[in-house]
Amino acid sequence: MEAARSAHVSGPREQRGEENADGKDSSNDAKTHFRVCRFIIETGVKLDMRSVPVATACALYHKFFQTASLQIFEPYLVAMSSIYLAGKVEEQHLRTRDIINVCHRYFHPGSDPLELDSKFWEMRDSIVQCELLILRQLNFQVSFEHPHKYLLHYLLSVRNLLNRHAWSRTPIAETAWALLKDSYHGPVCVHHRPQHLALAALYLAMHTYGVQVPGGEREWWQILCEDITRAQIEAIMTELLQLYDMEAKCT
Amino acid sequence: MDRDLLRQSVSCHGPNLFSLLKCEQSENPDFKYVAANGQYREDKEDDSPVVEQFIARKADLLFAPSWKFTAPEEDDWQEATQELYAVIPPLEQFMDVPYEERRDIFYRDVERGDMVIGRITSIRDFGFFVSLICTAGGLERDIEDLEITGLCPIRDVPSSGNHDDPLSYFLIGDLIRAGVKDIDRYHEKLTISLYSSSLAPNFNKIKLGVISKEELPLHYIRGEKVASDSSETYERLLESSLGFSNPSNVDYLLGNLGIIDTKSPSLMRGLQSKHFKEDDFASAIRKKQSASWALKCVKAGVDHFKSGRHVEAMNEYNKALEIDTNNVEALVARGALYATKGSLVKAISDFELALDTCPTHRNAKKYLCQTLVERGGQLEEEEKLVTAEGLYKKAIALDNTFQEAEDALRKLQALIQKTLKRKAEEAAREEKPQATETSAEKLRKILREEKSGDSMLSASRKKSKKRKHKRRRSSHSSKKRKRRVSSRDDRTTEDKEEHYPVPANTSASFINHKGALTKLIDEEGGDEDPRGSYGKNRAEDSRGRSEDYRPSRSPEADSGKGRWQFSDRPEDPVLTGVNGGEREAYRARRISDDSIRSHQEGSGSSRHAVSKMDFLSSAYSEHSLKLDGPMKDTSWQAASEERSEGGGRERKDRAREDCGSNRGADGKDRRLSSGDGNRASAGSQKKDLPANLLDIFNQIAEFEKERKQKK
Repeated sequence: MEAARSAHVSGPREQRGEENADGKDSSNDAKTHFRVCRFIIETGVKLDMRSVPVATACALYHKFFQTASLQIFEPYLVAMSSIYLAGKVEEQHLRTRDIINVCHRYFHPGSDPLELDSKFWEMRDSIVQCELLILRQLNFQVSFEHPHKYLLHYLLSVRNLLNRHAWSRTPIAETAWALLKDSYHGPVCVHHRPQHLALAALYLAMHTYGVQVPGGEREWWQILCEDITRAQIEAIMTELLQLYDMEAKCT
Repeated sequence: MDRDLLRQSVSCHGPNLFSLLKCEQSENPDFKYVAANGQYREDKEDDSPVVEQFIARKADLLFAPSWKFTAPEEDDWQEATQELYAVIPPLEQFMDVPYEERRDIFYRDVERGDMVIGRITSIRDFGFFVSLICTAGGLERDIEDLEITGLCPIRDVPSSGNHDDPLSYFLIGDLIRAGVKDIDRYHEKLTISLYSSSLAPNFNKIKLGVISKEELPLHYIRGEKVASDSSETYERLLESSLGFSNPSNVDYLLGNLGIIDTKSPSLMRGLQSKHFKEDDFASAIRKKQSASWALKCVKAGVDHFKSGRHVEAMNEYNKALEIDTNNVEALVARGALYATKGSLVKAISDFELALDTCPTHRNAKKYLCQTLVERGGQLEEEEKLVTAEGLYKKAIALDNTFQEAEDALRKLQALIQKTLKRKAEEAAREEKPQATETSAEKLRKILREEKSGDSMLSASRKKSKKRKHKRRRSSHSSKKRKRRVSSRDDRTTEDKEEHYPVPANTSASFINHKGALTKLIDEEGGDEDPRGSYGKNRAEDSRGRSEDYRPSRSPEADSGKGRWQFSDRPEDPVLTGVNGGEREAYRARRISDDSIRSHQEGSGSSRHAVSKMDFLSSAYSEHSLKLDGPMKDTSWQAASEERSEGGGRERKDRAREDCGSNRGADGKDRRLSSGDGNRASAGSQKKDLPANLLDIFNQIAEFEKERKQKK
């Protein structure tokens, strides 16, 4: 990823980029996106970021590349800048120094920390300039409605439905939360409404453990979100699960 | 894998899942156990193959016992006064769960210690019956129309104090909040109680008994709204709630549900926590990086130091410490620089800080020993023998092969013995004549002072005359002063700094009756300045001796003890008499200090100095107080405050001793400093005998009062 080190954002990408049939290209793109999102999430863990800022960073990245081309923009630089921007948006401010340190070590495992030389400053400049680029590409609309708070409220409601002991021995909350966080590896977050995504994660978690919920006129998930159908839920679940398959392919 | 969970899941999903699990997880012992013993029901229509595949693949993560976090210890529960998150009525209500089912699950789930709210339906002589309308305290169910009644027996009703029948307090239709005491699930009977002991521990603070409509839980109130208005959907309710727009509701709810956000695991194989190395985290890298950047600065600083550019060297060291506080190398290097320049106390503190972080640093230890011994020598000269001894002992403790320290210690201990003996003899000799002299002299001085005080009032505050004390004070207060000759330029600047008047609002406001004395003292303070300069002039021959003779007027600003001003003016009526006799005594003791005294002659305060020295040496620790760098102005203020206090020199001494003992090595330097505005004010106040001073001040106070009354 030498291109990430230089100050210029645009430039030919030598890494991948065979001009093959669209299908292969797009699947390569998908793999790249997956890898970069994995990079974002890993960096988020190392920077002690909360889930919502990490989600914002991934959402920024996905939204950016909905309209931009991987040929022109270096994805890892865009990723680093989205992390920085997301920290600002979600009020968990990060220092560029930390971002650069963690990312440098990601690409060069076991290396010494960087010295305060011109390379460092150039990298910092790149991040800041790319941040402005992202803002412009997204029309400065960088605040997202995330599924996280929906999911948490749904979890509370469902908790009240269940017997407290059943709840405490079944890790529904953790599974649903993990599913939601993992969903950011792919563009699911920008293709669906946050309520739907939250509901799908909860639905999958509930079904995984085979939890018995009292039935009524309507299903619990129909109450939580009026305008969703089972088919839609299944579609989102399928997308989520495909991400797990992709992990096997990419890493 | 958690076998129960696994079994539950398998039984829910049927044979498809089972077979998939067999492929993926056949090695797992837990699965084998379940496979052997579990039963599963037939296929359901809504089984999804993708889900089953998912479960099969991730079963080892999903069913891991460590996956489930233990819920955090519940804090005292209280009805949320602000809406931290959106409170929604129970889902049951929205779902229209049938009556029977709701009743069943209520009786299945309710437990002892839950809180319920209901309305009194009938009162009998053995208790009253309550028809429950909702649950409170965590469990949220829609039970209003379930016609669940609970009995509250009379013994569970707390008496109302007077000896009436406790039940008379209640009326039919009252809203009651009670705790569930007993449940008979089979007969569907509930016993409730109004005693807090029946509740779960985290409900301690909740009041049981009659409540008003306003205290009904929010989810119930919202539920009523939903029941009446069928267009209220869950979603609409959620989004219109104030709590939903609380930006920190995510964090709050995560805590509520027991999930730790930054460490919550993932289902992705690559993101499992065991793959993350501690060294890759931002904070760890930052620390290493700061240390390396700081080291570069330190190296540059050492170069400067070797070429003699001490100022640049100090800058580099400070820069290094800004980048990385408590960087060991930077501290050691800076300490060495301080020691070379003579600020031994600062050097010692830097070395100690370095040794705290890294106790095995060879250079730090070596330098610290040397500096301690040197400092001990300084203190010896200043007659602060006990402290010096402490320092030597410390040096030896650090490095017991350090011969110099041992030698110095031995010499010092011998000296201490001698001095103690001498002091005892002199004290015995001096007591008698002093006593008689002081009382007569005292009165005379006081009377004289009153007369002159009036005239002096107008001329007060002419500090320009006497800068000695100010200078000394300032020199004390700014620790950065180097005692070498080279620091003379400092002195001059300090002098200028001291020439501003006492802030009007401090002592002046405190003083009414002491005003005269204060001004007098202020005026006298000027006398001290020459002495201060004297002190500095002596820098070359005494490594710190000059500081000794500064008036130890460390203002115990905080303690506001009576402050004695050292005044150089021999004609100070008040205290000269008192001090006179004592001065003699001290002078006798200070034979060795003759040379120093002669310097002070010029200011006419030699005797003062003597007494001061005595005072100082005997209670050197006292000075250590405000040494840490009170600014001149603060010391001024402190001084003024002290002035207003008057008296209590004794108190001051005591306080100083206390402070001093706390200070230890660090304080030694500061002895005199603490910028006491002790501008020796009026006359030669002597701090020799605290009792005397106390008396004097009291008498002064009395006289002033009288004077005022006369006016």
